Amino acid sequence: MLTLVKLLQSLVKALHSEGTPGQVAAGIALGSILGLTPLVSLHNAVVFGLIVLLNVSFPAAMLAWAVFVPVGFLLDPVFDRIGHTLLFTPSLTPLWTSLYNMPVVPLTNFNNTVTLGSLVFSLVFFVPLFFMSRWGIARYRATIGERVKQSKWYRAVTASKVYNLYRLFRPEP
Amino acid sequence: MSVRIFRWRAVGPLLGFAIVAGVLWLLFGDRVARRAAEKMGTAIVGAKVEIQRLHIDLARGDVTVRGLTVASPHEALKNLVQADELTADLDVVPLLEKKIVIDRLAATGLRFGTPRETDGRVPGDPSASVAGRAMTEAKAWSQQFQVPALQLATGKIDVGTLDPRNLSAIPGAEALAARTDSSRRAWQRGLDSLRLAPTLDSARATLQRLRGARATDLAAVNEARRAIYQLKRARGRVTTLERSVTGGLASLRAGAAGLDSLKQRDYATAKGLLKLPSLDAPEIGAALFAPTAVARFERALYWTQLARQYMPPGLQPRPEAGPPRRRRAGATVRFPREHALPGFLLRTAELSFLLDPTAAGPKRYAGRLTGLTSDPALYGRPTLFNASAPAVAAGAMLDHVHATPRDTLGAAVRGMPLPTFQLPSLPVRIEPGRGTVQLGFALRGDTIDARWGVRAAGVRWARDSGVAASPAGDLVWRAISGIADLDVTAGIRGTLAHPRLSVRSNLDEAIAARLRAVVGAEVAAAEKKLRAEVDRQVDAKAGPVRAQVTALQTEVTGRLSEQRGRLDQAQKDLETRLRELTRIRVP
Repeated sequence: MLTLVKLLQSLVKALHSEGTPGQVAAGIALGSILGLTPLVSLHNAVVFGLIVLLNVSFPAAMLAWAVFVPVGFLLDPVFDRIGHTLLFTPSLTPLWTSLYNMPVVPLTNFNNTVTLGSLVFSLVFFVPLFFMSRWGIARYRATIGERVKQSKWYRAVTASKVYNLYRLFRPEP
Repeated sequence: MSVRIFRWRAVGPLLGFAIVAGVLWLLFGDRVARRAAEKMGTAIVGAKVEIQRLHIDLARGDVTVRGLTVASPHEALKNLVQADELTADLDVVPLLEKKIVIDRLAATGLRFGTPRETDGRVPGDPSASVAGRAMTEAKAWSQQFQVPALQLATGKIDVGTLDPRNLSAIPGAEALAARTDSSRRAWQRGLDSLRLAPTLDSARATLQRLRGARATDLAAVNEARRAIYQLKRARGRVTTLERSVTGGLASLRAGAAGLDSLKQRDYATAKGLLKLPSLDAPEIGAALFAPTAVARFERALYWTQLARQYMPPGLQPRPEAGPPRRRRAGATVRFPREHALPGFLLRTAELSFLLDPTAAGPKRYAGRLTGLTSDPALYGRPTLFNASAPAVAAGAMLDHVHATPRDTLGAAVRGMPLPTFQLPSLPVRIEPGRGTVQLGFALRGDTIDARWGVRAAGVRWARDSGVAASPAGDLVWRAISGIADLDVTAGIRGTLAHPRLSVRSNLDEAIAARLRAVVGAEVAAAEKKLRAEVDRQVDAKAGPVRAQVTALQTEVTGRLSEQRGRLDQAQKDLETRLRELTRIRVP
């Protein structure tokens, strides 16, 4: 229940943050990488650093992470197949061999079928997700966003202590 | 309004997060690494690996492991090895490539085969892990040996029930009876088709006319000549039938004689139904010691197969199971490259181990291991192990550098207390005391050449008091309890798919001689009884068939002789009368 409430808070905050639809959409797209790929990977540290350092919507990223984790579980067989195909394509073997014997790169677990498949999928999915999210948020704000902002429950959510923490990472104008 | 790209005020919290992560690593890094090492070790060995303490000093490149215990994957309450301390000199730079290169490892206080309180084997689906699959393969390999069982469990010689369906003479007799009947019918038809009666009647009538005729009665003479001609033709038909009958009768007689050889075969079949104790010395050796020897070879095969899985030859990309996690593990593919570092390399290990650790003054020995690597083709040299001391010599070479792997293991331990082992299916234990154990194991590709031997001079024999006394146990006990020496040699040669096992021991002949003396008379009586039973069952069927053949022979040959005689007599009478009439010899 608590998780559901927090998810709702994230959703509300993301949609009504001061950030532009582009900042929220970028947060969602970056957060989707965290959710779609196995978490304990070096590339996710980089993605997390980008979410924190870049002026994107942090709650949107956390929301996308939470939403895309089950999607990632569901799509694991697809990721496995994608990764298997890529890693065993003879023309790509020299590339993988070079990366495998390069400093730091092997720490990303790129040579795991699920990790590589999910990363490639999430990177390909990044651009359409960004544009779809940006369009959706803009439409939301233009239609029902203002009415939601005036509602009591929205005020209750934004008045919570968690909101203060959120303000630290909210997008800057 | 322009949007700034970076959120500079988040740098502080991010750094804070990094510092917290660093502190957590300092606090819990060793624990995390210890658990990871235990997990990885357990997966590799196929039995529990436990570590009391693990410390990583990345700045100095040192890893120290204290209180290492590796359970045996073969025995529930036994450890494979325990070590007081392992100190590894780690090359730090390759860690950035996720490669572990240990320049030098010092292991102290190694002890082998120590007891443990809990089962250290890993339960679960054997096909899900490399170790599980290797174990399954090794077990399947060992089960292909047909170790003869020493048939002494009851101490009785059981004649068993002789099933007539198992005897070949009975169906042989039935087939012969059918053939006899068939021949009888065929020959009867042949006799009927001779149609001799009209010929003979005609000859008799011609003779009568000839008796009243004169020499000038040419018509009568010509008729007589035609009658003789007809008689000759009839005799030709009889001769043809006679030949056929002679051949058929010979075949039937051969069939009747064949029943005797079938009966001899039935004696052998019936003898096979007897639960006779083995009186053959090599079979006794195999029955007594093959299970123990095969178990040793199975273990050696398990470790070599495991080494082949983790140290495969060649430089091709190699998939292996991905890391265990909540999400799908997938497959992790290694891409070894020439002149690059292997994924794992232990350049040198200095091993200090204790033998006979429970003795008052355990002896400390040293060994050396070099070139243990996950990519032998990259390292370019085989993995070598050797340990030598006055009482111990052990060596191993795992050469996976080339396409065909060659694994050689050898060990000899002299003057050490040897473990007690049980004789299969008998309530007798051997306590070899101090002696010599030798094991040689060579696997080249899939060609195996292995030997295992035990020699002890002060053997003690112990009877298992928990098992009720049996004549078999008494017999073996009387045969071997006075023997003080034990010398067993077992060997396996051939391919993994078609290995040949041979076992010899000094007990074989002793037990065999005793068995011959004690059960020889009983075996002879049982065999006699069985032969009588075979005779009874076979003769009941074969006797009437033989009589049937004889009767047929008598009947057919008699009838043919009679017919031939009548023809001959008629021809003779005609020829005599013609001669009298014409005084001319008929051509």
